Amino acid sequence: MKMKTVVDVHDLEKTYGKANERQYQALKGLNFTVAAGEFVGIMGASGSGKTTLLNMLSTLDVPTRGDVMVNGHDVTKMRGNQLADFRAQEVGFIFQDFNLLESLTAEENIGLPLALKGTSSRVMDQAIHEVAETLSIADLLPKYPSELSGGQKQRVAAARAIVHHPAILMGDEPTGALDSTSARELLDLLTTINQKQKMSVLLVTHDPFSASFCQRILFIKDGLIGSEIKRGDQDRSAFYQQILNELGTFNE
Amino acid sequence: MLGKLALAGIKNRRRDYLVLLLGLTMSAAIFYMFANLATNRAFIKANAVVSQASLIFGFGAVLLILITIVYIMYANSFLLSMRQHDYGLFMMLGATRKRVGELVFLETLILGSLATAVGIVLGLAMSQFLVGFLLDMLGLHLAHLSAVYLPAIVATAVLYVGLFILASLFNLVRLTRTTVLKLLHTDEQANQPKVHPFRQMVAAILGVCFLAIGYWSLAAIKDLQMTAIPIALVTITIGTYLLFRATILVIIQGLRRTRWAKKHLNGFLLGQLNFRVYNYTRMLTIVSLLFAMALGAITVGSGYHRQLPMMANSLGTYTMAIHDKNAQEQHLIDQLNVKHQATYTQKRQGKVVYYNAAELKQQPFELNRGTTEAKYATHPKYYTESLKQFKQKGSQSLDFLSLAIRSEQGFYAPQILSAQQFAKQSGKTMTVTTVRVKNLNQDKRVLKRLNKLELARFAQPEAMTVGNYQSYELMSGFFGGLEFMGYFLGIAFLAMLASCLMFKILSGAPGDQRRYQMLYKVGVRQRLMRVGIAKEIGILFLIPGIMGVIDVLFGLQMFKPLMQSPMSPYLGIGSIFAIFIGLYAIYYAITLALYWRIVLPKAPTN
Ligand SMILES: Nc1ncnc2c1ncn2[C@@H]1O[C@H](COP(=O)(O)OP(=O)(O)O)[C@@H](O)[C@H]1O
Ligand SMILES: [Mg+2]
Repeated sequence: MKMKTVVDVHDLEKTYGKANERQYQALKGLNFTVAAGEFVGIMGASGSGKTTLLNMLSTLDVPTRGDVMVNGHDVTKMRGNQLADFRAQEVGFIFQDFNLLESLTAEENIGLPLALKGTSSRVMDQAIHEVAETLSIADLLPKYPSELSGGQKQRVAAARAIVHHPAILMGDEPTGALDSTSARELLDLLTTINQKQKMSVLLVTHDPFSASFCQRILFIKDGLIGSEIKRGDQDRSAFYQQILNELGTFNE
Repeated sequence: MLGKLALAGIKNRRRDYLVLLLGLTMSAAIFYMFANLATNRAFIKANAVVSQASLIFGFGAVLLILITIVYIMYANSFLLSMRQHDYGLFMMLGATRKRVGELVFLETLILGSLATAVGIVLGLAMSQFLVGFLLDMLGLHLAHLSAVYLPAIVATAVLYVGLFILASLFNLVRLTRTTVLKLLHTDEQANQPKVHPFRQMVAAILGVCFLAIGYWSLAAIKDLQMTAIPIALVTITIGTYLLFRATILVIIQGLRRTRWAKKHLNGFLLGQLNFRVYNYTRMLTIVSLLFAMALGAITVGSGYHRQLPMMANSLGTYTMAIHDKNAQEQHLIDQLNVKHQATYTQKRQGKVVYYNAAELKQQPFELNRGTTEAKYATHPKYYTESLKQFKQKGSQSLDFLSLAIRSEQGFYAPQILSAQQFAKQSGKTMTVTTVRVKNLNQDKRVLKRLNKLELARFAQPEAMTVGNYQSYELMSGFFGGLEFMGYFLGIAFLAMLASCLMFKILSGAPGDQRRYQMLYKVGVRQRLMRVGIAKEIGILFLIPGIMGVIDVLFGLQMFKPLMQSPMSPYLGIGSIFAIFIGLYAIYYAITLALYWRIVLPKAPTN
């Protein structure tokens, strides 16, 4: 049986700059798919177009050409409220800079996607506490972001990203601002989410250690998918080694 | 090097600096205009006939100085909020505190001096044109008003530069006392105030008590005299502050626990308000006071504007009496909205003036109950009497007596003769036409010209004409200064209120820009964000607005001694309130539109 695909990117191109200005082609015709329940990493040097790609997938920016299907929705055809609703319901996003609202408590931050859907407060409380249990952040709920460490903030952000059970969780260098211990905890958390909740995860990173938590890794170079490796049955340290090797050849 | 960096920082925030500079310049200009009016001796002497008027001018000056101080404090904290991140960065890069301190000091002082200088020039120009325009619109004439008055220039310069030196020193101390880390991260700190029920209760009760004292002292201005105003200013300010601090927070935090807070962006709105209202308490207090003063001043000004004609109307029956009207006068009369008009022939001989009974029968002389009975003072009631009755009563009324132009010896005694007798009676013959207009205010311009013509031809011994219009002109001379002050201060306070809110809201915009960007990424619909911002800013406008209206309703008591019956500070305030609130709403709409533009994330396009 063929697995359902959550992300299907076809001939994706992105050119920055208006026609009469200086233009820069960041993506030059990308193709790839992510199957339901997969944990996929996207690697590439700084400036290779990782963020650009993720912005297209999450509708924060529009492609110049090509198709992007996410969970059956043609992202490029959506407009206005559809885009907002798509972001609110179909994708969960973790940002490098946490993106938590500092005027709200952790609990209120996590509940935001549900509040937007108009979920009843009883269901909301239940969902928040469930996800807080899963990510072991129940004790952080009444606190404000300013009272949390970077690692704690990112875990709260992860909780907010999955509380409404989106089809896919995306992270743009979510460990970028964390120390190594917190980074490790977060990556374990993403693995847990991927395995327990069967949620697809798309992780953008330039860090081989973070990437070693994925099942499959796509390497971007000069706006194209340069190569792809799979973890298969290897353990993580072996996969880590393979990534380093790949980067060695890839960067030549 | 550091100086260059600082300049670059300023360049990056050109627009904010422009707003700041504009606000300060306006404030200095307004202050100059007022100082010019309040300190110009010749002008005061010529206009402040009523002793209370000079008291009111003094009061206005004190108020304006106080408000100016607060205003500069606000502008200064806005400046500091714009700059502290840069300063923190300089220190982190190794600049000494002393060096950065110097920089801050200079920057504040240069900005302040610039604003003062430009402000005074602008004030000169505005005195020349705006004041004249306002006076013209109100139909007032204030004598001896000149735009350039050296003592006022000096006063403005001394006050403003002095205040800016203080502000610079304050900034210097502030910056050298704060840690670099705090300076760098002020934007992201959203301190969450805690509620202490007991303390909050005490604060609320104290607040109400202070407000009560303030309102009482305004009502008792007759007994307290000048002390009423400082008492009221201090107690109402403290009371409002405490009340805001105590209640708004409790309400918001109470709402946060409800189900309503868990719908859509409501939780976000409450969260925003929660830390915002707390940080904004001082500003909201000031704005509510400014709101009250602006509304109060305009209410009083317009009170005089509308009520002086009313007062005048209660004094007599006809608006004007014209003797031997000529073609030019007839032409003017035709332009009036005449409600009642009659023409009588007079024959004067000795100390008697004779009238024709037939004429009086055909067009009876109108009388006004308002002149004799207090309850008709605000709504004059006109009536006529039968000829027989009129001979005994009405013909002795002052209005009828005044119809014949007086001589040095006083009134002519009126006598009514039958048509035949009248025809035979010898004496100096002339006609008199009485005109009563529907609305004195409306026909003011024409009446003024008519009055001039009449005066040129037939002045009474005091160089006056007779009728309500003349009374009105006299009273405008007395109260015109007050009316003008009311409008002037009202507009000045409104302008300051506007820029106070603007500073505060603009200084919050960078933080909100980030927040709404976050909401956008999380998938909040554009419309929802728009509505959310409208509610948030709306509430920030509403709180001081409501408090301001309450202040005014109590504060108008203060003018009771100055607006005695049939005038009243409360008469017809509905329409003025509506206009003022309309202006405030327009200002809200502008702020909102600005804020939307700054804060709302733009959807990507290709
Ligand atoms: N808004 C933009 N306008 C113009 N060029 C951009 C914009 N955003 C990114 N770029 C360019 O596109 C390229 C890819 O950027 P990005 O996707 O952010 O890289 P990465 O996330 O892999 O580091 C870079 O060369 C960057 O300079
Ligand atoms: Mg990036």
